[in-house]
Amino acid sequence: MPDIIIETKEVSKIFGGLTAVNKVNLEIHKHSIYSIIGPNGAGKTTLFNCISGFYKPELGEILFQGECIQGNSTDFIATLGISRTYQNIRLFSKLTAIENIMVGQHTKLESNWLDAILHTPRFSQENKKSRSEAIQLLKFVGLTGFGDFLACNLPYGMQRRLEIGRALANEPLLLLLDEPTAGMNPQETVEMKKLIRQLRDELGISIILIEHDMRVVMDISDQISVLDYGKKIAEGPPKEIQANSRVIEAYLGPGGAALAKKYQNRRRKNA
Amino acid sequence: MNNHPIRESFQKGMVFAIIVIFMMMTGFHMIAATLVSKIFGVYVLRGSIPDVRFMGYVHILFGFWSGWSASGKTGKTPARIFQGFAAGLITGGFIALFDLLLNFLILSGTDIREYLSALSIESMDYFLLNLRQTGILAHLGIYATAGLVGSTIAIFLRSESVQHMWQNLKSSISNFTTQINEALPMFVRKYGKYLIYLVLLAALVILPTKWGSYMNFVIGLVGLYVIAGIGLNIIVGLSGQLALGYAAFFAMGAYSVGIFNAPEPHHLMWGFWPAIVIAVLMAIVAAFVLGVPIMRLRGDYLAIVTLGFGEIIRILLKSDLLTNFTGGPRGIHAIQGPTLFGKPFTSDIDYVYLIFAGVALSIFIYNRLQDSRTGRAWLAIKEDPIAAQATGINLQKYKLLALVIGAAFAGLVGGISAARNQFTGPNDHSLMVSINVLSLVIVGGVNSIPGIILGAFTLKGLPEILREVENYRQLAFGALLIVMMLMRPDGLWPSSRPQMEKGDCSQNGENITNDGGKNA
Repeated sequence: MPDIIIETKEVSKIFGGLTAVNKVNLEIHKHSIYSIIGPNGAGKTTLFNCISGFYKPELGEILFQGECIQGNSTDFIATLGISRTYQNIRLFSKLTAIENIMVGQHTKLESNWLDAILHTPRFSQENKKSRSEAIQLLKFVGLTGFGDFLACNLPYGMQRRLEIGRALANEPLLLLLDEPTAGMNPQETVEMKKLIRQLRDELGISIILIEHDMRVVMDISDQISVLDYGKKIAEGPPKEIQANSRVIEAYLGPGGAALAKKYQNRRRKNA
Repeated sequence: MNNHPIRESFQKGMVFAIIVIFMMMTGFHMIAATLVSKIFGVYVLRGSIPDVRFMGYVHILFGFWSGWSASGKTGKTPARIFQGFAAGLITGGFIALFDLLLNFLILSGTDIREYLSALSIESMDYFLLNLRQTGILAHLGIYATAGLVGSTIAIFLRSESVQHMWQNLKSSISNFTTQINEALPMFVRKYGKYLIYLVLLAALVILPTKWGSYMNFVIGLVGLYVIAGIGLNIIVGLSGQLALGYAAFFAMGAYSVGIFNAPEPHHLMWGFWPAIVIAVLMAIVAAFVLGVPIMRLRGDYLAIVTLGFGEIIRILLKSDLLTNFTGGPRGIHAIQGPTLFGKPFTSDIDYVYLIFAGVALSIFIYNRLQDSRTGRAWLAIKEDPIAAQATGINLQKYKLLALVIGAAFAGLVGGISAARNQFTGPNDHSLMVSINVLSLVIVGGVNSIPGIILGAFTLKGLPEILREVENYRQLAFGALLIVMMLMRPDGLWPSSRPQMEKGDCSQNGENITNDGGKNA
């Protein structure tokens, strides 16, 4: 199917005796925001690591635009157009914000070390272009004026946005966001939601999102799938997931669905 | 404060007493006095006693310092003054106890030099200000008074009104300099940088002719270490790989020049210039051969493997196996120097110019590399290899590139120094050389050219100039490293990243504003 950007087929990742990801099937459409939720330890980040090449899945296939990518090195997968951010921010802290973005452009640029020493025309043109694009990107993620700050000196919310900026710098087709609003205050969360929507609507990027903040997930996702103990237990649009009793039990424990229903009814009565 | 003030005074006083006593036991006070007398033009015969006033000043200084540091930052003024006085008194008290011991030793005629070579009778007398018994009282008095004065002055200087005055002075000075800067004509402001370069260049051309040959030798050595430091900085500072066997690449360069441009062992006299090219190429080949298998290693493991590589090269050069090829432990003698436009390089001054050219070349290459896609990729690898790989950087390729380029610099240094010394042997390329280069980079400031130059001067230039303290080089080295790590953890002259959003980038020549970026 042409409008599917990435597909996982029966992907499994096993650490010793623990099956962190267990035969997960996902189909992510182009220009959509696809959220993966689940309790802690459900295997969400492990799945990300499989897609971005940090881990090689033991079983299954990952097809990016119809091509099998599992088992390739991380840097090769990055050149295909898959970028990611991390649960714990992983910026290059002793580089400035703009330089972080310029590192992100790595796969797009071509000049090598010899060009750099000799300042060949290719180098000069590319350098100029890369710098102006980096400035543009800073503006897009709302960091204009902070470009010359060292990344480690930026406030937390800005670091999160800079990380997204870096991931955008190589013009990815698919962006993996690992808990982009973790540790943010409500105001920053609202801004982040807006930014993620912009990524889809203005840049046309497909996004896979891991997120614990349900307001964010339910607001912006086109499709959600729920992992629990490495298995996909539900998939569908936000409305469906909210009502799914298996999902509620995964979060609240057995009997949780009945409990939730009871509270919902009581709330309805009060209202 | 959870520390009782008196206890703190006691601690401070004890620390300073220990410093002074330690200094005395190593005989450092005599050496320092000799040096100072020399610098201020009072020539002192070796073995004779320098001016005793100097020792008095040293005592006053330490008493003053102890009072200063014990006076604290908060509290009532009389209490703080008393704390300083107490600290001085305690320093003096401990030293007085030590003096008693010294007096006892002098009287009993024990030859303590058997155990501590620096503790001669003269040195003890000098420490006691030539006063023997009464010196004890003098010490007590000096330290107590100096502590009192020190704490009083510290309290005065730390008081709000003085701090306020100091701030005013600073801001008025900075206002003044900005005014001067604005008053300068446009072309001076724009090309002032180049003007400074020009003056520097002229100084570098003229100075070696005035310095004399010993100074030229020292400066040449420092220059060689600067090149080596820049090369190692590409490996350690930019790409973040801790490589310890850097001297092995020197050996590659030095032996290439030795083999291809000396009468023995092969009688190949190809001339210096082809030989130095071979030297650089050999270092590159060695780095490549070493690098390919070890690029997957990180941190400690890489350090150990490179350390082993360095030792293997040195031992191989020393062994009988290669004696016919490299001259074995004897090394290679009578290496020929370069000739340029028919003029052979004979004196140190010629080499100084050659080395300056090498330094300029390496600074040029380094600067262009570090502000490029390659340089940023290296820095990214150093900061976070996993995230760097996920942005599409091929770790193996870039780490190998850094090692190879760094090694090329080392090959150049090895080649030049072999020609300059007209000799190279296995001991020129020991582990200590690698460690020296590494420490000058770290002491000076990683990724900072001024830092590396400063580091090379501090660690290679100063010990050559201050031959007197040579015996204490290791001691000074250790002390310097500790003080450095406490006071300037990023090096003497830390690096800074280029300002690229606002500042004008040298390559572009034009100022890209935020709007300009949008149009592009």
